[in-house]
Parts: sequence; structure tokens; C-alpha cells
Amino acid sequence: SESDPNLISSESYLVLLVVKRVRQRKQDGTLYLMAERIAWGPEGKDRFTVSHLYADIRCQKISPDGKAKIQLQLVLHTGESTTFHFANESTALKDRDATKELLQQLLPKFKKKANKELEEKNRMLQEDPVLFQLYKDLVVSQVISAEEFWANRLSLSSVEHSISNNNKQEVGISAAFLADIRPQTDGCNGLRYNLTTDIIESIFRTYPTVKQKYSENVPHNMTEKEFWTRFFQSHYFHRDRISTGLQDIFSECAKQDEKGLKSMVTQGVKNPMVDLLSLEDKTLDEGYGTATVPTTSNSSNKSLRENSNSAIIKRFNHHSAMVLAAGLLCVIFRDAPSDQASETSSTDGNSRDSDFFQPPLKKVKLQEAIEYDDLQGDSGRKTISLNLKKSDRYSHGPTPLQSQHYTTSQDIITSISIIQHEMRSYKPRLTQVMSSSAASSAIIALSPGGVLMQGGAQQTINQLVPTDVQSELKHLYMAAGELLRHFWSCFPVSTPFLEEKVVKMKSNLEKFQVTKLRPFQEKIQRQYLSTNLTGHLEEMLQAAYNKFQAWQTRRMMRKT
Amino acid sequence: FRLNIEGLLVYFPYDYIYPEQYSYMLELKRTLDAKGHGVLEMPSGTGKTISLLSLIVAYQKAYPLEVTKLVYCSRTVPEIEKVVEELRKLMDYYAKQTGVKNDFLALALSSRKNLCIHPEVSSLRFGKEVDGKCHSLTASYIRAQHHSNPSQPVCQFFEEFDAVGRQVPIPPGIYNLDDLKDFGRRKGWCPYFLARYAILHANIVVYSYHYLLDPKIADLVSKELAKKSVVVFDEAHNIDNVCIDSMSVNITRRTLDRCQTNVETLQNTISRIKETDAAKLREEYRRLVEGLKEANVARETDIYLSNPVLPDEILQEAVPGSIRTAEHFVGFIKRFLEYLKARLRIHHVVQESAPQFLKDIYEKVCIDRKPLRFCAKRLRSLLRTLEIADIADFSAITLISHFATLVSTYSKGNLYDYDFHQKTPTIANPVLHFSCMDPSIAIKPVFGRFQSVIITSGTLSPLDIYPRILDFRPVTMASFTMTLARTCLCPLIVGRGNDQVAMTSKFETREDFAVIRNYGNLLLEMSAIVPDGIVAFFTSYIYMENIVASWYEQGILENIQRNKLIFIETQDAAETSMALEKYQEACENGRGAILLSVARGKVSEGIDFVHHFGRAVIMFGVPYVYTQSRILKARLEYLRDQFQIRENDFLTFDAMRHAAQCVGRAIRGKTDYGLMIFADKRYARADKRGKLPRWIQEHLTDGSLNLTIDETVQLSKHFLRQMAQPFRREDQLGLSLLTLEQLQSEDMLQKIAQIAQQA
Repeated sequence: SESDPNLISSESYLVLLVVKRVRQRKQDGTLYLMAERIAWGPEGKDRFTVSHLYADIRCQKISPDGKAKIQLQLVLHTGESTTFHFANESTALKDRDATKELLQQLLPKFKKKANKELEEKNRMLQEDPVLFQLYKDLVVSQVISAEEFWANRLSLSSVEHSISNNNKQEVGISAAFLADIRPQTDGCNGLRYNLTTDIIESIFRTYPTVKQKYSENVPHNMTEKEFWTRFFQSHYFHRDRISTGLQDIFSECAKQDEKGLKSMVTQGVKNPMVDLLSLEDKTLDEGYGTATVPTTSNSSNKSLRENSNSAIIKRFNHHSAMVLAAGLLCVIFRDAPSDQASETSSTDGNSRDSDFFQPPLKKVKLQEAIEYDDLQGDSGRKTISLNLKKSDRYSHGPTPLQSQHYTTSQDIITSISIIQHEMRSYKPRLTQVMSSSAASSAIIALSPGGVLMQGGAQQTINQLVPTDVQSELKHLYMAAGELLRHFWSCFPVSTPFLEEKVVKMKSNLEKFQVTKLRPFQEKIQRQYLSTNLTGHLEEMLQAAYNKFQAWQTRRMMRKT
Repeated sequence: FRLNIEGLLVYFPYDYIYPEQYSYMLELKRTLDAKGHGVLEMPSGTGKTISLLSLIVAYQKAYPLEVTKLVYCSRTVPEIEKVVEELRKLMDYYAKQTGVKNDFLALALSSRKNLCIHPEVSSLRFGKEVDGKCHSLTASYIRAQHHSNPSQPVCQFFEEFDAVGRQVPIPPGIYNLDDLKDFGRRKGWCPYFLARYAILHANIVVYSYHYLLDPKIADLVSKELAKKSVVVFDEAHNIDNVCIDSMSVNITRRTLDRCQTNVETLQNTISRIKETDAAKLREEYRRLVEGLKEANVARETDIYLSNPVLPDEILQEAVPGSIRTAEHFVGFIKRFLEYLKARLRIHHVVQESAPQFLKDIYEKVCIDRKPLRFCAKRLRSLLRTLEIADIADFSAITLISHFATLVSTYSKGNLYDYDFHQKTPTIANPVLHFSCMDPSIAIKPVFGRFQSVIITSGTLSPLDIYPRILDFRPVTMASFTMTLARTCLCPLIVGRGNDQVAMTSKFETREDFAVIRNYGNLLLEMSAIVPDGIVAFFTSYIYMENIVASWYEQGILENIQRNKLIFIETQDAAETSMALEKYQEACENGRGAILLSVARGKVSEGIDFVHHFGRAVIMFGVPYVYTQSRILKARLEYLRDQFQIRENDFLTFDAMRHAAQCVGRAIRGKTDYGLMIFADKRYARADKRGKLPRWIQEHLTDGSLNLTIDETVQLSKHFLRQMAQPFRREDQLGLSLLTLEQLQSEDMLQKIAQIAQQA
């Protein structure tokens, strides 16, 4: 293993910042910020008593300005926290801010480094309550180990990943989110803006620069409320207004937006068919043509009004582009790895000049442009048609084999038409009606719970079984399903690894039956629930055991 | 399949055909038979290009001596490339059907910017830079210097082409711009000069209008094209403006200042050369005395400075004595420059004809007409003699010399000349506009020289006006409708808001609050019911800016944003391209978007909004040209005096062709569909409506002439719902789509005969 990181002498790490006279738990000491960790050691000792990897730190908090004690708190992912008190009277504030600044730069880098897999598992458990329950049922109660549980989960999910571009689709942003902040007069010469977390998120996603300002300023420089007040007062929000204050913290955002817009423009467009710059083949030289000459002193003679008008137009284009980009961001992000792969593979073969890659898109667009799909023969668009042997089965789904009558849709249609036909010529014979007692008994028999309604088990189970038992049963089904999936996935048993696994899985199933299913059965017996709720579960388990038995006997025979 | 068009075997590379295509080919064939010119209007999306190509190629194959070349002119680079691709499809079909290898040579020609493969030069962004840099590597004297001094850089691709490229003809085939570049790379030849050389013996040439219409370029590129060529101008609805633009010049004080610097540079260079190499100047003088044909000495690469005068009027005489020596010529230019400067000092608007201008210049500074005519030619000779490398710097003096030549050549009442003076709040900025009033001047040599010229577009209505303003006699004029199995276009005229206030962009009411609000409401309502993309056009950029601003203030835009993203055309082309791409992206991913744009702008002229990219087009107002412009007034006057075209007729015609262009952007084929909303009550009048293309007019019912916003929404909803139903080939077959058998039936042929409406 590595050398003890808590020994100062053995530290070969680069020390980035040393702050003396920092108290921790009322003990004086020195704070060290190193390349990968932050550490504190008491005065006069060569050991760190506090040491945190940056990756373990969730966030830092600082004491508000004006407080007597100047402190900095680190909150860890585990929920623990450590507080440092900067005690050097003359430079305390400076020390604290220096530490804060450096941490601010360092922490984000390590956030990304945190254990990707663990994060992924956590995320999956959080997003999928069913999976979480399963995890509790199987892993926490030690039916199977965590590794077994994840073994084909992760790979499975990564397959899903690439197929469906992830299970969760991010919701885009409404283009009018700014309009939803209806300013209302509050009656005393002020405006109220309604902000919701959704809107704030929309603002942040659409305008990353605002988010950056927010994280820079809140809460150290101003409160959240103050931040948003300033935002709504800013020239940035009301782009048509001419810049007012110099201290406007958002003027920088506007500049950055401008920059972003410019870079977008200079990047040019990918689709050559919409590139207005290269549309014209031979533009007239300067000085030719009838169009009025663009005045050279463009900005000076434009009125204020015109300037603000064009600013509005620019802003709308930018806003729409940003909204669109924010909506696409997640998609692009997810596509990225596969894109990269395809690019590297294509660059391997040929390394010709840069515009080699451009023509394909252009060719495609050109072909699209000249295509008349209705003039072309049928070869044009190929669709894959379903190849159905029995279309009835496709529309009905699988039907249980036990049922004696296999009704085709044709049968149903004919019987309906027969009934219709009969009903048309139906004439009630009012003299020969049933006796009232016979009628009421028939109604009882046909009501829920009646003799003739026994078949509708789904309805009765809803009504007969209390909800907690129902949900428990559901969990059991899920757990059993998961285990059985593992079990059946071992067949055909072709490798020694699978052999081992199938044996293990069988014992897992047995364990499940003993530790989970039995207690449940006993419970429902105690509650006198007559219906055989677990019958099907047991059947499934039995089927698995049978399969296992068959496999084992066959194996024994082969061995002997 | 194979068609029989009045005895001509035409290969048509599709399995089906639209009836109007057949009709179009018939008319085209008759035009070619008569060796005359034609004006043909057929809606876009009905396969005009492929019909043209199929018929003319068949004609060329059948009568190789009658028609030797097809010159196909289109407007934009993507259009040009599209034409070549369609041609490739046709030629592939020929090869497959006949089994004979294609022996046609067809190629696209474009500017250096699109063809250059020199690593350094091609990386430059602007066409002008590319041209300038190319010239500095390929000019004849640069190459001569390279001979004596190998460190002088030259273009390897050009050298290679010059050495071997001309002897070996380019093999038959279809060469698009990228194919030319590929071919050039393979051989190590310059694709641009290769293409320019190859058009002389190519069977089919595809390039932009300018190569034929702008005399400055036509002189270089198209001079030697054979007379027995068929020339096609596609998308020709704006051809008159292209002609006028190519012959008009604007001069500002800045131009004159830069010209002044040019003159000084010339003077210095002349005196330096006089000391070192006087023989060179003497040699030039001798040449000019003898009037030696420049063609002998001119190299292809030197012709960056060409004559603004039309090819057949190129002066055969020798340069007059007064400007033969270099110093005299520079002195002459200086005098001319001083005169122009004096003219620009005035503080009021002046408007005069070319003869008046010439008279004045003679009286004030004794400049004669004749030396003025030779200005351009003389300057060209001088610049070559002085071996000026970077020609881009001399654009100012070149412009002045072109102006001199133009003003003195076309003085027979054809051109007007203006001095006017734009008062800006701070400084007076006078501009001298030399405006060509008569588009026929530029196009006349084309009509005169080539056996058949076909003018075609989706919107050429009213047909008879083009022969009048371009001054030619067509043998055929026809407008074709679009046969439709379902009415896939829905033109609606919205005249009122729900408050009954008339909707119009008329000058007097355009600032009216109610009008602007109603326009906003219309867009808002449409944004809620139209799927995917909506394109809206305004009459001018300033008008759009104002409306957008007040929509913003009234919160209308915010409400629209709830339904769709908004993108807006700006005056910056790069910015607009980006907005356009984002717009398409938003339509593509299902979010839906609105593009606010301007009639007569780049978007309205060059971008198609097929299928979901444009389910509705809204034309806010009637896009009249800015009528207060003096140049326009002069042109109207000229039209009235020369061609008896009434002012209002022309203005309405011009407005309606632009409106038709805008709304026509949405329909690009029979499987496409779209709403065309004309938001101005004036569209309902017969004089406006009657000038729309026939294929739009015939779907305008009396019930859709003066609608309110609500009524429009109702009709639109109904239309969109109908259009959203599946549309299959069987629905079209026999009506708007034909198989060969169907085409051959007697019945159908009779029906087809009614498609073309002769004007």
C-alpha cells in the first residue's frame, strides 16, 4: 500500500497553499492545500489530523461578511463537515478568501473524477424505484451479493444506453420562459417578478454566463434575492434599453453572449445549401450596381431607436439559438462517445485535406434537393414490413394454450354480426317473463363475488387482499423474476463459469424461497386469506428446479 | 422512359412524368425548331430543370449540327450544382438505356473561390482576395520574372495546366465543381483555368448569369461561345435587375480619394520606369499607335481588367493620340478626377442624362468624348505595362475608367446619370450614381448572338412584360399550371383583423398601431395551428425592424415564443445563415420555428423551404420597391417613354413578382403542401391578383379574398388537416402523374394541350 498520507514528512505532493494560524476544534494549526487533498495539522506536530481528498468534498461554505469569526466549512459527500477558523487577526479575511478562491478552482476538477461507476449505480438506483426495491430485497437481505446483482445490470444498461440514447429524456426549455416571469406591480411603485425553480433552471441552462455569475456572487457577495433583483434591473435582461450602470454585473454576460454569437457566426454553417455567403457566384465589385452604397459611417448615423431595434433582433436570434442548443445539449453529450469512435475510425484510413470531409454532406443535400420521390419508381423508399405468419396472434397477443376455443377475430366479427342480426329481430315476449326471485338470484350470481363472477380474479384480488400484502407480493414477484432471469440466462450451460453460476443461482432461489416466500406464505395464512396468492410463484420456482434437476441428471449421466 | 415529342426521341430518367412536363417539352421543342427565343413559366417543383435538360440534350443528340451547345445560366451556386446533378442523372440514364458510353462533356463554371485548389489561395475567405492572390501568382509578367528568378513564387497548378492541360482534352463526362477540383488535384492542374478553357468545346456549360450578362466578365469568359448555342436563363424573374446592376456604377468621395492615391502611385511608377526601362513605355506607345489587337499579347491570366462595354461593340479603332503616352493618360485621368471631385462638391441634388454630362465635361475641362471611351482599355494596357502586381488596390481607378467608358459609349438616351447627395445628420455624403435604365442593353448581344434563348422561371407573370422590358421578340410564350390531384397550396388573402380594421402595409397606415397589432395577432394565431416551420416576409428591412420592436414592446413576440422559436433575418449574411440553419434545425427536431425575413432579401431569393421547413408563408404587405428613390423614378420615366409601360403597371408587376417569389418558396413539388397567406387587403384587387402566376391565381377563390384573422385560421386548420392525410402515388396517378401508357392515350394528350396557356 501507499505511504501514510497523514505523515507530513512523507508528503511528496505539491503544496499549493499554506495558511498558518488556522484553528480547528479550538486548536491552533496550519492548513495545507495540496494537489489532491486539503489537510490540517496542529501546531508543532508533523501529522495531519484532518485530511480530505478534494474528491470527497461536496462543497465549501463561508461565514457571512461582518461576522466576528471568519470561518470556512467543508461539507463532505458523506454529510460530515469540518470547520476551519482563520485566527490571524490582521490577515484572516484575506487568508480565508485565498483559500476559498483556490478551492473554488480545484473542487470542480475533482468532482468529475469521482468514481464514475459508483455514481452510475447510484443514479440508476435513484432514478428507478423498482430497481431500488429489488436491490433492497436481494442485496440488502443478502440473497445475492451486490456484485452478482450488478453483474449483468450494468452491461445491460449500457446496451440500452446505446440503443435508446438513455432511458431518460431531458425536457427541453420553453422559448418563452422569460415571458412567464410576469412582472406585477405590487401597488407601491415596484415590480414583483415571479421566479420558480424551473424558470431559474431554464435561465441557467440557456444562459450559462448568468449561471457563472450566480455561482461567483451568491452567496458571498450578495443574497440570491439581490442577485435576481439586479438581474431584472439589468440592461442584460432588457436588451432594448441602453446600458445604464457601470456596476452592472451582467454587462460582462452581454459581452460574452456577443462573443458567443460572433464565434457561432464565424464558424459558419454546415449545410452549404443555406450558406448565404457563398450563394452568389460572382458578386458585383464595390461601386457597381444600383443598390445604394452602404454608408461607411454605419453606426454613427444610425439613430438610437434603430440601434435598439437591431439589438432586439440580435437578441431574439441569440435567445432562440441558445434555447435550441440547451435542448440539444444532452443529446449531443450522449452522442459524443459514439461520434468520436466513428471519427477516429474514419480518419485512420485517409488523411487528405480538410475539405475532404465536407463533400459528403453537400452531396447528400444536393441529392435531396433534386429528388422527386413521386416521379421515381417504387424503388425510392424502402420500408421494412412486418412479416407476420398469423396476423391474429399479432393483434391479440399470446393466448393461453389451455383455453379450448381459439377465437379468431373473424369468429368474433361473425358472432357480433350474428348477435346484431338477432337483436334486430328481437321482440320481447312480455307474457313469458322470468319470476322476480329468479331474476334477482341471477343478478346476484352475476355481481362481483357472485357464483358466476369467480373467473375475474384480477378484480377480486384487488378487493380481497389488503394493499400492503399486494405491494409485498409485487416485490416478491419482482425479486423472483430477477433471480429467475439470472437463473435462466445460464442456459445453455456451455462454460464452467456458467456451470458454477447455475448452481449458485439455484441455491439463491432456494434461499429466496426459504427466507422470503415462506414467511410471506405464513403471513397470509395467519391473516386467513384463502386465495392462493403464491401459487404461481411457486410454480415458477418449481419450473426452475425441474430444469435444474433435468440438467443435473443429464450431466451426471454424461460423467458416468 | 422514352418519349416521342413531335418526332424527337427524348429520354426521360424517371418512371413517371407530370403532364405539365410533357407540355413544357412540347413548347420548348417548338421554340428550338423555330430557332427563336422563348418565355416559359412553370411552377417550381414540377421538374422544370429535368424537362429542359432532357429535351435539349435529346435535341443535341438528334441534330448535332443545329444545336452545338447548351449554355445553362442559373443564379446561385447551389442552383448551378443542382442542375449539374440532374444532368448527371439524365446522362446515367442514357448510358444505361442505350448501352453506349456517354460522349458528352458537361461542366459547371464558377469563380476562382469555388474552384481554386491552391492550398494558400483557396484558404482565403472572400472572392476578391482569391482573385487578387491568384493573379499575383499567374500574371504573365510574374511568370516571366519567374523564368529569370526562380524564387519568384508562381502557382504550380496553373503552370502544370499551361504546360500540358491544353493539349489533352478533358475526357467526356459530367463535371460538377467538386468533380473539377478532384480532377484538377489528380492531374495537378488548375481547375478554374481548365474549366474556362473547356467550356469552349463542352457540349453543356452551366454557370451563373454574370458570365453572359455582365460585359466585364462576358468579354473574358463567354466571348468565343458558338452561335449555334441554346441559352437558358433559369429563375429568370429578376433578370432585368441583373442586367441593370452589371452596367451601373456608384462613385463616392471615398472612391475619388482612393483614385487619387492610385494616380499618384501610377505617376511614381511611370517616372521610375522611365529612368530604368524607358524602352518598355516606348514599346507600349508603338503598340497603341498601331492599334495592335490586344488579344495577341493578352494572356488568359491577365484579363482581370476587362472592358465594361459589350463584346460586339468592342472598339476596333486605335487609342486616340491624346492619351497614348503614359504621362498624358495619367494627366488625363487626373483632369477627369478633378472634374468629378468638383461635381461632388455641390450641395443639392442634380439629375442629368449622359449627353448632358458629356456636354458639361467638355465645356468645363475640355474632355472629349472619344478619349473617355478608351479609358478602360488604355488603363488596362498601362497597368500591364507597369507590371502592377496587386490589382485589388487599383479598384478605384478601374471603377472610374469603367465609368468613363460607359458614360461615353451608351449616351444615346439609354443611360441616365445622377448626382445626388445624401444628407445625413452629421456629414454630407454625396454619391454619384450612374444608373443604367435599360436592361435590354446588357442582354441585347445575347439575344442577337445566340440562336435560341429561353427565359424560364416559376414566376414570370405577366408573361408579356418581359419581352417588352428586355426588348426582344419571342416565338413562344407560355405559362403552365401545376396539375394537382389534391390542392396542395392554399392561397388566402387576409384583409382585416378581427376588429375589422383593414390590414395593409400602405405607407399612410403602416405605422398605425392597430395594423401592427393585427399583423402580430395573425402571426400569433398561425404559430398555434401550423406545424413545424412558418416563414414570414416583410416588405423591407426597416419595416420589419420597426414591427419587431413594437411586437416586442406589446409582448406579442413572447406569446409567439410559447409556440415556436423565432429567428430573424439580419443585414449580415453570415448571421442570417446561422439563423437559417438554426431555423431548419428547430423544424427538423420538431420544435417548430418562425423565420422573419424580407422580400427582395437573400433568403427570399435563394432559399427553398421544402416540406416541413415551410408549412406556411405569410407575406406582410405588398412588397413595393421604395418609390421615393430618384433612380427608380427615372427608370419608370424611361419605361414609360421608351416602352409605353405605365408606372403603376410596372410597380405592381415588380411588387407581385416578389410576393410570388416569397410565397412560392413554400411549395416545391406535388407531395409538398403549404399555406400562402397574403396579409394585405390590396391583394384582393383585380390588378394585383391578376399579376400573380396562374398556378397560384387559379386556387384563389372568391371566398378567400378578404378574410379576417379568425376566418383565416379556420380555413387554414381545415386545409392543414386535409393535407395531413396520407398521400399516395395511386392518388396522383392518371391525374397529376402519368405512366407512359397513360401519356399516350388520346384523351390525355388533349388534356395536356390545355395545360399550356399561350400569352
